[in-house]
Amino acid sequence: MLEIDGIAASYGNIQALRGVTLSVEEGGITCLLGPNGAGKTTLMMTIAGILKPRRGTISFLDRNITGMRPSGVVRRGIALVPENRLVFPHMNVHENLIAGAYLRLGKSKAQVRQDVDHVFARFPRLQERTKQLAGTLSGGEQQMLAVARALMARPRLLMMDEPSLGLAPLVVEEIFRIIRDLHADGTTIFLVEQNAHMALQVAHHFYLLEQGQVSFSGKPGQLSEHEVIQRAYLGKQQGRDQSATDRDQPDGTMLRSG
Amino acid sequence: MDWLDFFQSITDGLLFGSIYALIGIGFTLIFGVMHKINLAYGAASIAGAYVSIAVAAYVPLPALVTFLIAAIASGAIALLIYLANFRFIPLASPLATLMATVGMLILIDEVVVHATDGMPQPYPALFADIYIEWGDFGLRGDLIFIFVLSLIAMVVLMFMLYRTRLGIATRAVAQQPVAAQLAGISLDRTNALTFVITGLLGGLAGAMIGASVGVLSPLLVVPITVKGLIVCVIGGLGSIPGAIVAGLAVGAFENFFLAFRGVTERDMYVMLLLFVFLVFRPGGIFSRSVARD
Repeated sequence: MLEIDGIAASYGNIQALRGVTLSVEEGGITCLLGPNGAGKTTLMMTIAGILKPRRGTISFLDRNITGMRPSGVVRRGIALVPENRLVFPHMNVHENLIAGAYLRLGKSKAQVRQDVDHVFARFPRLQERTKQLAGTLSGGEQQMLAVARALMARPRLLMMDEPSLGLAPLVVEEIFRIIRDLHADGTTIFLVEQNAHMALQVAHHFYLLEQGQVSFSGKPGQLSEHEVIQRAYLGKQQGRDQSATDRDQPDGTMLRSG
Repeated sequence: MDWLDFFQSITDGLLFGSIYALIGIGFTLIFGVMHKINLAYGAASIAGAYVSIAVAAYVPLPALVTFLIAAIASGAIALLIYLANFRFIPLASPLATLMATVGMLILIDEVVVHATDGMPQPYPALFADIYIEWGDFGLRGDLIFIFVLSLIAMVVLMFMLYRTRLGIATRAVAQQPVAAQLAGISLDRTNALTFVITGLLGGLAGAMIGASVGVLSPLLVVPITVKGLIVCVIGGLGSIPGAIVAGLAVGAFENFFLAFRGVTERDMYVMLLLFVFLVFRPGGIFSRSVARD
């Protein structure tokens, strides 16, 4: 469905992708795992049209979409749930959903209204908070809203960038339940995750991205979870590295706010 | 000075302050959407009013149509400012666009000075012959007209922002530009349209200034730019309700000191008001956060 061939792209001055080739099969859940800084988000942003690739081609349903503007990519049927959710904080839940259907607003109002009802049926928690400002929702609710907003674009391929980031384990379970549901309803899913354990449970196919290149491609059984986790978090001192990054984040926040 | 003079000056100031509110909204809207300041905005507003009297010099027009032409002309100039000073200039550098708009302010100012030989041009007033009296207290018809017209412009703007597709795009880009693009909203188009909208408001404000002062002069550009920025800061950068309240407040404040201390001291007190706000309430009246997260 989605074919990526030799994509090179950079984010700022750092060359993040160095010839990435992978494909996403229709009707499946494809996962992309890899350590921080491997270029996972850059790849997502490049597919979505926010970043322009330096080399390589991206094609979707046999049509070349390389370098297409984001609106064109959305129109073709690809929606991205961005890393850190990026909800519109001063809009209420309903307005966020409407914004997600932006490209259809002029033409098919009734259809958009119907889609809002569908999305609310899928996410009853959001329906209870229709008039609440998105910025005041909890992290898990914001993640649901971000997914719901992307669904409002009626995507054939839903890309999700680290949907479990910063969420409590129970909420992560719920997000993955939603991913399974969406897949069961026929949406193709391309998932970027740090949580290798959860990702391997849902994936039909997965790729490892290390230092801007695909280093492994296969089915979940083909590589032991232990090895995936080691490689996805860089090296054998995974436990220590992990706690180090955990500590880094609050420190950084404190520096910024102080 | 007795109570009657006090109320009279405050009332006149409040009515005239609606113009400052419009100018302030223009600055604040651009800041909210792009996090940039368009310093050429006041110049574009006055230039739009100039275009309207230039047109009126050839074709006799009802005064209300003159106002409309001023708005449209200023909207077009605002689009030009966007294309020249924002569209192709790296937005990551905060100074680049700021300096570019300073250049544009001077350019527009110079064009006006050359076109009119620097002479003030009379501007048609509306309802200037109406005066509503209650004893010694009175309301000037032209100021009431200005107030009502500003109010209508604000209501239309709010409707546009909260009830239309363009409004959703504008607010989405202001709050979360990456997510806005992911929803298929074009940044360039939304930014350009925001400039046009502020231009329309500015042109209307420019025409109303001309109508209430009675003349247009290039000398108006810098004072309304400064007042607009003051309103924008007092109201809180990016807050439209803040700009409305601050515009009215600055108008009332300045007119009170005009009556109380005279024209030479008037602006001093306005600056003092700004100072007080910068020290005690730097986030503006409502201190609403417009930060992107």
